[in-house]
Amino acid sequence: MAKSKYVLTFSPELVNEPITFRLAREYDLLLNVLRAQVDEGGGTLIMEMEGDRSEIEGALEFLVAKGVKVQELNYLITRDEDRCTDCSMCLSICPAKVFRLDRESWNVTFEQDRCIACGLCTDACPRGALRLAQPAIETE
Amino acid sequence: MRNIEEINSRIENGDAVVMTAEEVKAFSAEHGVARVAEEVDVVTTGTFGAMCSSGAFINFGHAEPPIKMTKVWLNGVPAYTGLAAVDAYVGATELREGDGMDYGGASVIESLVKGEAVHLRATAYGTDCYPRKDIDTHISLNSVNQAYLFNPRNMYQNYAAATNSSDRTLYTYMGKLLPHNGNVTFCSAGQLSPLLNDPHLRTIGIGTRIFLGGGIGYVAWEGTQYKTTVPERNGAPVGACRALAVIGDLKQMTPEYVKALNFTRYGWSLGLGIGVPIPVLDEEVARAVSITEDQIYAPVLDYSVASRARKPVKEVSYAELRSGAIQLNGKEVRTSSLSSYRKARDISRELKEWIQKGRFLLSSPVEALPAERVQGPLEVRSREEA
Repeated sequence: MAKSKYVLTFSPELVNEPITFRLAREYDLLLNVLRAQVDEGGGTLIMEMEGDRSEIEGALEFLVAKGVKVQELNYLITRDEDRCTDCSMCLSICPAKVFRLDRESWNVTFEQDRCIACGLCTDACPRGALRLAQPAIETE
Repeated sequence: MRNIEEINSRIENGDAVVMTAEEVKAFSAEHGVARVAEEVDVVTTGTFGAMCSSGAFINFGHAEPPIKMTKVWLNGVPAYTGLAAVDAYVGATELREGDGMDYGGASVIESLVKGEAVHLRATAYGTDCYPRKDIDTHISLNSVNQAYLFNPRNMYQNYAAATNSSDRTLYTYMGKLLPHNGNVTFCSAGQLSPLLNDPHLRTIGIGTRIFLGGGIGYVAWEGTQYKTTVPERNGAPVGACRALAVIGDLKQMTPEYVKALNFTRYGWSLGLGIGVPIPVLDEEVARAVSITEDQIYAPVLDYSVASRARKPVKEVSYAELRSGAIQLNGKEVRTSSLSSYRKARDISRELKEWIQKGRFLLSSPVEALPAERVQGPLEVRSREEA
């Protein structure tokens, strides 16, 4: 099983097609929509796909054939632990609940896996501890 | 029941009973206020948050030939030098000239405490006694004669929480406020906060020895905007009330407790750690230090109303604020603390350790701070009306 996050960009004509439904049914993928936005210029979907590596590859080919622009989400929030003071400003800003406050230690914990790379927290941190960057590549 | 001399002799003998503010609240809940008064000598408090009204006096030493500085820049940040020849004051919120908000006075102070070199440039008009007209050099905390924080207003006794009902994001000194009441921010250390554990300043006054930025400092004066007129709940004021001016040697301070903070589109502030010991003189003090976060309230203010007359949206307890979300207009709204409770707790523990090891003695105030004080607004007035 593999799990990856992708940024899918749709042209306005594609917005009404049931593309995610077909991805789930025809490629047997677990899909998790992290962020969705539609406006006059089309739509953007940040989606996590979980399933067989070959099925994910097939799904991506299907999307490209349909005219969807596909990019792997390869930048996420990174935290400079030396700069963080555990204040918790980021907590109420982050829509993906990447940050949690441990109510025993009062440390702010950080789960990068949950990040949807929206960047909202970067200018909220008074210590400049949060940046959008390419995370270290993990090998399977 | 006990006075400061008695407490100090117990500290010197190594048998004083010292508890952090958190510990004493748990002890009080279990054994009652009377037992706190009987058994506890000192309660240590702490706070680590943005304290904008902060800055450092520095004496650079005399150059050869000497200069009476009239303009001073530290790493490009202007410092005030309308003082004697080589004295200057660098304020935490001052911005570096010419590059927006990328660097500020707080950054200079943080650099100094870290032991880093800081670029000094000064110009002068030149006098018979001070002929030199400019100097370009580097200083560090080691090389300057004196460097001390002298902060006109720190440790606010409580403060409002902030939200934003408008349809755009606001960037404030209370942090980033999301539109449509998307979040709530607050800054007090709540039950650990020094002045909420001694709400009428029975034990804290001018001259009180404190933990300041990792070193030893003192209460110098009432804080600017000190006031006593805020309504109370459970004995604690609901909103910004008293504050303290503090002073302390920058050379004793540590990077852990002196950190520059940048609030996007607002500017710089100094993140400073302060701890105050509270002597448990009697049952009244014991009751005050027993207050817990469910009993301390803050007003929630709407920062989209840019007026000093804005009315609170509601009052919430620190227990609610710290739970992660509060109810606002029938909606659950997530909360963020701007001050670090973890660091506030670290400070209360470190101060406790100092006292237990006999490194830190308590002091009686030289003078009490005002029991009554009203704050006036600034109006546009004619010379006759002023």
